Amino acid sequence: MIRYIIRRLLWVMVTLLVITLLTYLIFFVMPPTDPAINFAGKQPTEELVAEVKAQFGLDKPLLVQYGLFVKRIFLGDEYGWPGLGFSFSTRSELKPIIFDRLLVTIQLALGAAILWLMVGIPIGILSALRPRSIFDRFAMGFALFGVSTPVFFLGPVMLYIFWFQLGWLPGTGFYPIGQYGFWEWFSHLIMPWTVLALAFAAFYARMTRGNLMETMGEDYIRTARAKGLSERRVVLRHGLRSALTPLVTILGLDLGALLGGAIITETVFNLQGLGNYAIQSVFSGDLYAILDVTIIAAFFITFANLIVDVVYAFLDPRVRYT
Amino acid sequence: MKKHLTIVALLAALALVAAACGGDDEEPAETGTTGATGATGETAGFTQGGIIREELTDFGFTGAFDPTGEYLGTAWSWYQQMLIRGLLTYPGRAGAEGNLPVPDLATDLGQVSADGLTITFTLKDGIMFGPPVNREITSQDIAFAFQRINTESLIAQYGNYYCGTIVGMDCSAKSQDEPIEGIETPDDKTIVFTLERPTGDMIYRLAQPATYAMPQEVAGCFDKAGDYGRYLIASGPYMINGSDELDITSCDTLKPLSGYDPDRFMQLVRNPNWDPATDDVRLANFDGWQLTINSNLEDSYNKLLNGELDLYHGAPPAAFLQQYLTNPDLQDNFYSEEGDRTWYITMNLLVPPFDDVNVRKAANYVVDKAAMLQATGGESSGLIATTIEPPSVLPDLADYDPYATPNSAGDVELAKAAMAESKYDSDGDGVCDDPVCDNVLMVNRNYEPWSEYTPILQENFAEIGINLKIRELDVSTSYTTIQTTENLVPIAVNAGWGKDYGSPYGFNFFLFNTAGDSCEGSVNYSHIGATAEFAEGCGQKTLDAYNAVTDNGANPLPNVDADMEACVALPTGPEYNACWAALDTKLMEEIVPWVPYRWGAANIAIGDTIENYTFDQSAGLIAYSQIAVNNGLTPEELFGA
Repeated sequence: MIRYIIRRLLWVMVTLLVITLLTYLIFFVMPPTDPAINFAGKQPTEELVAEVKAQFGLDKPLLVQYGLFVKRIFLGDEYGWPGLGFSFSTRSELKPIIFDRLLVTIQLALGAAILWLMVGIPIGILSALRPRSIFDRFAMGFALFGVSTPVFFLGPVMLYIFWFQLGWLPGTGFYPIGQYGFWEWFSHLIMPWTVLALAFAAFYARMTRGNLMETMGEDYIRTARAKGLSERRVVLRHGLRSALTPLVTILGLDLGALLGGAIITETVFNLQGLGNYAIQSVFSGDLYAILDVTIIAAFFITFANLIVDVVYAFLDPRVRYT
Repeated sequence: MKKHLTIVALLAALALVAAACGGDDEEPAETGTTGATGATGETAGFTQGGIIREELTDFGFTGAFDPTGEYLGTAWSWYQQMLIRGLLTYPGRAGAEGNLPVPDLATDLGQVSADGLTITFTLKDGIMFGPPVNREITSQDIAFAFQRINTESLIAQYGNYYCGTIVGMDCSAKSQDEPIEGIETPDDKTIVFTLERPTGDMIYRLAQPATYAMPQEVAGCFDKAGDYGRYLIASGPYMINGSDELDITSCDTLKPLSGYDPDRFMQLVRNPNWDPATDDVRLANFDGWQLTINSNLEDSYNKLLNGELDLYHGAPPAAFLQQYLTNPDLQDNFYSEEGDRTWYITMNLLVPPFDDVNVRKAANYVVDKAAMLQATGGESSGLIATTIEPPSVLPDLADYDPYATPNSAGDVELAKAAMAESKYDSDGDGVCDDPVCDNVLMVNRNYEPWSEYTPILQENFAEIGINLKIRELDVSTSYTTIQTTENLVPIAVNAGWGKDYGSPYGFNFFLFNTAGDSCEGSVNYSHIGATAEFAEGCGQKTLDAYNAVTDNGANPLPNVDADMEACVALPTGPEYNACWAALDTKLMEEIVPWVPYRWGAANIAIGDTIENYTFDQSAGLIAYSQIAVNNGLTPEELFGA
């Protein structure tokens, strides 16, 4: 298994290199806007533009720029390891900015994931066990609502109701638990968690329902019942284990993608996370910031894939490391 | 057993729903309080104390908040009104008065020699830098600010106002320690500027934040553009929170100020070294100021209505604008002020059919400016522009309208009459019949209100036979596209221009001077005064275009550099203004590079907590130096300071 993991890790590295190269080509070779001109002010004379290019390292040949970028990532830069460079906008090192924002995104993504699992899976189980019941119809109605309601609509609606009108919850923003305490932190995150989790919960409920209904019709389930096992044991030990295995794959990928930044949720709820930063950086032409966010998003997705594959093998004995 | 499973799952779901809706007991954060519990007394009858709470979607700094390079008007306002002081500043007033510099560190507006080549200032006594520098400001601190402007690596983004004007300044010094020949400091209280040529509006340039006093012991530690922005030493009534904790023992001990996170917020608290007796401009009514970045504009306006913010700068979303304009309870909370900014359609003299002045005149007649204003939000978004310079910058032309049309809605007949004079209308029917009028590229922005202009302009220009092919782009890309000369964009509607300072030179110098033209980064989008040498430097395509429209240089493009030189040399006053008015007239009637369509307004929304609302004309924002707030908040409460 160790050889398998090492091989996969090497592939993660290769994937990341390819992604950085593509991102580099898109934003540095074919930039929609010229950062040197953007950051030379309202009167970008040729002298100013040249000086900005020199300070940003944009005056070197593109391949050299990319080589230096990769070298800095692996060997570090003037700010230490890993070398994430500096922001054109704030002229400050990117590492603390990216790290702070990653923490926000992690808290958003993990909280939402816990919520959607806690809501989606029980609803899916109950619907599967009571197909075509009132609960099932209600639950599937909820799923349809959740899947079809976009975050950019639901977010402002929830803010309007629970903050602006009722005053039950505070408004937007991120309040770190270490600085403001548990309740401030929790109360500011509960709406973004809920909004983000709703769409996923609906999807997970439908998946759980479908998988479990299919599993509960399998021969081995009938056998288990015939052997006199309790219904609880049949469902939890034999049915769910098989029905939930595909969810692990989906969960890993969803979580990996969210850790790269939940752009709309972060923007609506003013959470200074990676997704929010990605948008800001693209608009301002902050090239190194764009690259860093891309690398982190790509890392989480590829790494999540790896973990999913490893965990999958644990859950499903038929899968072997090859 | 199935029943048990159902109950467990339901309980889990209920618990989550309860958690999601929880916090019944929770009070909304910081609802506005109207008492003056933090009041420390009364000045000019306004509440003292409180914290101004404000939000923006983005800082948007162009120079990372280092005054030497920073070119963002919002930052200039914060410097001038709250943070730092220079020889001259602005009074924080509305109208033309607000655009006139007043003495700040200096005792007067300067003594100009008879030949206009030297200006001498004397500094007031007893004005101190804030913590941790804690020493009196001297003339050397002003001279040092100019040395920074002159330093190439610090990228002074408006250094052109000084380099080439003050003797010895060329903005290419290798070190900020290099003294400047034309700036002398005979003693700690006197500074003398020697100029290359008489420069009428020099007092305006000396009121710009890049020239404000800078302590060399801190600012001198930073030799790259923008780095000093996170260590800014105050001299005004406020300082960045955490300034007193800055260790200035050496450059190595400096750590960024805790009150400014370029990604999230800025917090100002009172500067204990500021003495109101030395300051004729700033009332400094409030105890602190907090600017927070919020990516959700609607949310910010909701906070303002909810009492969680005290003010917001910028055009509100349509739904909020409607509330402010129609709800009688809110009408006193919204202001639409003269923004000293002209929005215009720019036409490229290097590209047919706009190489023909008659086509450019026809464009001025045919555009329905009233419809464009309506699409922007009506009168709250500004006034219909009739010339280049806004009236508060150049009052002489307030009633000037060379292309007047009924209700400013465009006049097809007048436009056709102009088009009939052009070389692109062979049959004289007022409609372009040359193939160059088909698929004419117009660059636009890809969001409202600009995207609303697209159908208006397509319809307008079609009346005179010009079929526009609109390319809508994000704002940065749209600027980069038209700033790259070789792209040869015929016409664009994405651009606007705000004054740098309230003299006509500070408004339009770069827009029409050859100094503002370059191959990449040009702001002279029409390329007035472009020469064959310039075109050749921008590539064969540009040279071909130049040769085609000038008959290989036989009919050179119009040039206004000499006109500007003549105006610049005059002392400010009626003659100076008349000179610029004549240039404006020449541009509008003889060269016609633009269709100015709107003088943009500055929109400011305030909460009920703001007292003594005053507009600062120079910055186009609220006058922080004059306003007060009665929310009773304290720095300790909000910042933990």
